[in-house]
Amino acid sequence: MIEIRGLHKAYGSLEVLKGIDLTLSKGKVLVIIGPSGSGKTTLLRCLNLLEMPDRGSLKLGENIFEFHERARIPQKNILALRKNTGMVFQSFNLFPHMTALENVMEAQITVQKKNKSEARKRAEVLLEKVGLADKAGSYPHKLSGGQQQRVAIARAMAIDPEVLLFDEPTSALDPELVGEVLKVMKQLAAEGMTMAIVTHEMKFAADVADHILLMDDGLIIEQGSPQEVLNNPKTSRAVQFLNHLNGKSDE
Amino acid sequence: MDDRQIQIIMDSFWPLLKAGVVLTIPLTLITFALGLILAVLTALIRLSSWTIPKFIARFYVWVIRGTPLLVQLFIIYYGLPSVGITLSPYLSAVIGLSLSVGAYGSEIVRAAILSIQKGQWEAAYSLGMSRMQALRRIILPQAARVSIPPLGNSFISLVKDTSLVASITFVEMFRTAQEYVALTYEPLLLYCEVAVIYLAFSSVLSLLQNYVEKRLERFSAS
Repeated sequence: MIEIRGLHKAYGSLEVLKGIDLTLSKGKVLVIIGPSGSGKTTLLRCLNLLEMPDRGSLKLGENIFEFHERARIPQKNILALRKNTGMVFQSFNLFPHMTALENVMEAQITVQKKNKSEARKRAEVLLEKVGLADKAGSYPHKLSGGQQQRVAIARAMAIDPEVLLFDEPTSALDPELVGEVLKVMKQLAAEGMTMAIVTHEMKFAADVADHILLMDDGLIIEQGSPQEVLNNPKTSRAVQFLNHLNGKSDE
Repeated sequence: MDDRQIQIIMDSFWPLLKAGVVLTIPLTLITFALGLILAVLTALIRLSSWTIPKFIARFYVWVIRGTPLLVQLFIIYYGLPSVGITLSPYLSAVIGLSLSVGAYGSEIVRAAILSIQKGQWEAAYSLGMSRMQALRRIILPQAARVSIPPLGNSFISLVKDTSLVASITFVEMFRTAQEYVALTYEPLLLYCEVAVIYLAFSSVLSLLQNYVEKRLERFSAS
């Protein structure tokens, strides 16, 4: 369903992605791990074109893009792609001037052109699903980080995307709030939602991922099942990274 | 204060207040509304990627902010007739004051839009919104909240700035006071009286501004 070939991205002279290939089939969960600065967030943001790749190709369902120096991607193709992807951000980015319910209704009305009562019904179902039916009328600043992130997940799902992208969804949360967000994500995975997740939560990755990518310095250095990547890494760089993570979590 | 002075105050109070309510306040409201539209448009153009309109917008803000309002009013009312454009005092006042509000306001609106976190744009884009949709639904409502205190200040300044249009023969509240002075030769008395009325107007507007800010606080981040 998602297919990426030879993706390159540079900021000036800094090459962030140096040729990435990946495939993600429908209903699967892809987890991307790697040290900070390895390009994993940039890769994820290329999937909905919040970052415009310099070279390579991206195919997501019906949406096909070829990137090269002089190519100008039409705005309407970008919007079409984004309607098929939902994104959950590290810093939640809920709309502060709207209640939780309105946050989840917004894109249904402005983007999908649904009428209000239809959007409201769907938003209520989604808030129920993330366990926040009772917070529908609350503004974001009245919610905890974990609650905000769950509203953000509901908001991303409201446009019925084919794939959900998570950019370090628990990194900005207090430790005791991480669990409630991961629980919602696990539930979505179990329901067959296609997801691409950038995270540092190794236990979660091991439990939920169908496929893990380990990135370093703009390249994929290991990939495979959680078993293969986490327990039997082949490259020394991967061993080093995983040991470092384990070392940290043992402290 | 003698009886004559008290009599002058009594006689002039209602005509002055009436000029304020019928002329000064409507002039303030009209020019503020027009100026605000101009301010938002100018701010949006300056944040856009259209080179030539951007240049024009910057030039406009530069000229208006860099020259005295009084001089601008004189150019519009006394200067333009030389090139065949003759405007009534009222129209000259509306144009001059609106251009001024628009230029200063555009900087406020622009700063407010820039103060909204990049994440808000990205969240809107990630949901499939176009730039216009993101602006209208997500960014401007938040920017409006940020810009209300400084715009409130501009509004109060504007009430006082309307007195400048007395100099282009528009008979508003201050000009009415000047006419009473010419009649009675009591400048201290009458100018203080009109100052008190301006003070009353500004104070009411400040209260209104506080009320609007309070109302908008319900969704402010803590």
